[in-house]
Amino acid sequence: MAQVAALGVLTGWGESTGALPADAALAAGERRVVALARPALDGARFRRATRECLLGVAAVEAMLRDGGLGREDIRGERTALVYVTAAAYGASNLAFIEAASGQGTLHFPYTAPSAVPAEVAIEFGLTGGYVILIGAAPATLDGLWQAATLLARGRCDRALVLAVETFEECADLYARGRWLSRGPLVEAAACALLVPGGVTVTETEPQDGDLATLARQRAGETLACEPLVALALARDGGRAPAWLTGQWRGRRVGLQLSVLEQAASA
Amino acid sequence: MALLRAEPVSILAAGVVTPIGTDLDAFWSGLIGGADGISTIERFRVDDLRVGRGGEIKKLRAPRAVEAPRCRATALLLAAADDLLGRARLAADPARVAVVVGTALGGVEELERAVESDRGPRAAAGALYDSPAYALAARLSARGPVLTVSTACASGATAMGLGADLLRDDRADLVVAGGYDVLCRFVMRGFDALRSLTRERVRPFDRRRTGLLLGEAAGLVLLARDRETRGRRLGRLLGHASTSDGSHIAAPDPHGRGLDLAIREALAEADVSAADVDFVSAHGTATPLNDRIETTVLKRVLGERAHAIPVNSIKGAFGHTMGAAATLEAIMCLLASREGLLPPTAGYEEPDPECDLDYVRDAGRAQRTRVSLSTSLGFGGCNAALVLEGVG
Repeated sequence: MAQVAALGVLTGWGESTGALPADAALAAGERRVVALARPALDGARFRRATRECLLGVAAVEAMLRDGGLGREDIRGERTALVYVTAAAYGASNLAFIEAASGQGTLHFPYTAPSAVPAEVAIEFGLTGGYVILIGAAPATLDGLWQAATLLARGRCDRALVLAVETFEECADLYARGRWLSRGPLVEAAACALLVPGGVTVTETEPQDGDLATLARQRAGETLACEPLVALALARDGGRAPAWLTGQWRGRRVGLQLSVLEQAASA
Repeated sequence: MALLRAEPVSILAAGVVTPIGTDLDAFWSGLIGGADGISTIERFRVDDLRVGRGGEIKKLRAPRAVEAPRCRATALLLAAADDLLGRARLAADPARVAVVVGTALGGVEELERAVESDRGPRAAAGALYDSPAYALAARLSARGPVLTVSTACASGATAMGLGADLLRDDRADLVVAGGYDVLCRFVMRGFDALRSLTRERVRPFDRRRTGLLLGEAAGLVLLARDRETRGRRLGRLLGHASTSDGSHIAAPDPHGRGLDLAIREALAEADVSAADVDFVSAHGTATPLNDRIETTVLKRVLGERAHAIPVNSIKGAFGHTMGAAATLEAIMCLLASREGLLPPTAGYEEPDPECDLDYVRDAGRAQRTRVSLSTSLGFGGCNAALVLEGVG
C-alpha cells in the first residue's frame, strides 16, 4: 500500500498544474518543443551539471514546498529514489558526440542517465534504494509500482519517484521520430513523494477517457512525466484513488494509486 | 519496519554472448580455460585514443528467426536470447512474459549514426535507450511488462532484482532478465578521456593494477516463481538490493557506504548471513580505487569470515562489459556451483596489502559452493548486490 503525500510539477508552461493551458496543442502553436529554462541553482558543485540534472533538483524542491517538508525530512538511507526518463539523456549524449575531442568536452559521466538521480541524491543526501528506469509513461507507472514494492517490503520509509524530460537540444532528431509521440513536446520535471498507506498499488486494465488523456491535453507530450502530471490533476479534481494509464511503443499499462488531499495543489 | 525476507526466484536457464564465447558453454570454457577476450578494437576508429583495446566480439552470429538488426546492442541481446531459447522454452501466456534488461549505454551508437546521417525516424527511435528491450520483447513475442533499467554498470543486477519482483508481485509468470552493452566510439572516447583505461593488462586486486578495459556482451536469464518450478534449474536468486551513494557523480563513495547497504539488504532479503556465503563475485574493475573500497566493504560486512571466502573478478578475461557485467557474473556464480569450480581472477598475480582477501588465481579452484554474493557498482553512485544459490 502506498499513497502520494506530496507532488512537485514543473513544465514548460510553468510551475504547478495551475500553469497548464486548457489545450496544450493550441497553446503551443507552431512550437515543436515548449522548453523549460535551466534552473538557477547556486553552488560550485553544479558547475558541470547539465540542465536536466538541475531540473531534477528543482522538481524535488518543488515537491518539498508542496508538502511543507524540509530537506531533513527526506535525507538518509530510509528514502528510496526511483528515477524515470525516456529522453533526458539525449541532450548530453548529443553534446558529447558533437564536441571536438578533448576540447570543451562535456564531462563524460554526465552522459549517463544516472547523472540526474546522482545529482539529486547528492544534493538531498539520499542514500537508500535506487532504481533508474528508461521509458515513457509506462516506465513511470513501473517506477510507482517499484516504489510501492520497496515501501511494502520495509526497504524504505518513503520513496521519491522523479521524472525529467528535456527535448530542446534534440528537437530535430525527435521531429524525425515523431511517430513516437503526438506532440507538442513539453519539457517537464516532476516528483512524487510516496509514503505507506492508502490503497494497494495494483496494475489495472487501462482506463478509457482517463487522466493520461487529460494530462496530455493540458500539458502536451511529457513522456515519463505524464503520470505525475496526471496525479497532480487527479488531486486537483479530488480523485482518490487515481486510475493512471500509460502508453508507449505499443505497451499500455494501468495503475491505481491514492493521492493525499491535504497537501496544497502543486 | 523490519526488512522482509523475499520469496526466492528460480533461475531456469541462461544465455550469453561474450568476447570469450558466444554461448553459455563456450563462455564457461573460456573462463575456466583462461581465454583472453581482449584485442585491438576493429569495428570503429580508435587511432586517436590513448587506448584502443577492449573485449570486442569479433564474429557475431546472425539471429535466428528474425532479420539481423542494424543496431548492435539489439543484435547482442538477440544473440543471447537465441542461446537462452536453445536451453529453455518460454512456457507461459505471452501476455505474462516480461522483459527486464539493464544497460549503461542503450542504443547510443544509433544516436551517433542518427547525427551523422539523415536516415529518418528509425534512427531517432533507435537512439532511445529502451529500444533494444522492445526489440527483444518482439523477438520473444513477450507482451508483458518491458522494463529498461539504467543503473549504469550495476544495471544487470538491478534488472534481475526487478525481474524477481515482477514475479513476486504476480505481474508476470516468466521474466527474461539481464543486461547488455556494446563497445562503441562514444563509450571508448568517454572512458579514454577519464583516463580510466589501462595500457597494461587488466589486473583486478593486483598491486600493479592501473585501470580497466571495456568489453561488450549480453547476458540473459529466465526467471520463474520458485514454488511453481518443476524440473531442472540453474539456481535461485535469493536476494537483491540496489542503493545510492549520494556521494559523487562518477567515483564510488570513499567509504563504500552504498555498497555496504546493498550487500546487507540483499543478505537480509535472502535471509542468509555472512556465515552462509561460500563465494564472492566482486565488481573488481581493476581501478585502484574500486578494488580497495570493495575489499574494505567486504571485510566490514562479512567480518572475520571475509578472509575465508574465495573472491574473484572475471573482468580481467574480457573487460568490463558495463550493463552486461552483473548478469554475466551472476551466471558465472551459478555455473561455478554446478561445476564445483571457481574461475580465476585473470591478471591477478601480485597481492596488494590493501586488497588482502582470498582472490581465486591461476587456473581457478575446485570448490563446492552453494550461496554466492555478487557485487556491482556504477556511475551515478549506483550499487547493487545479488545473493544467489547454486545447485551443485
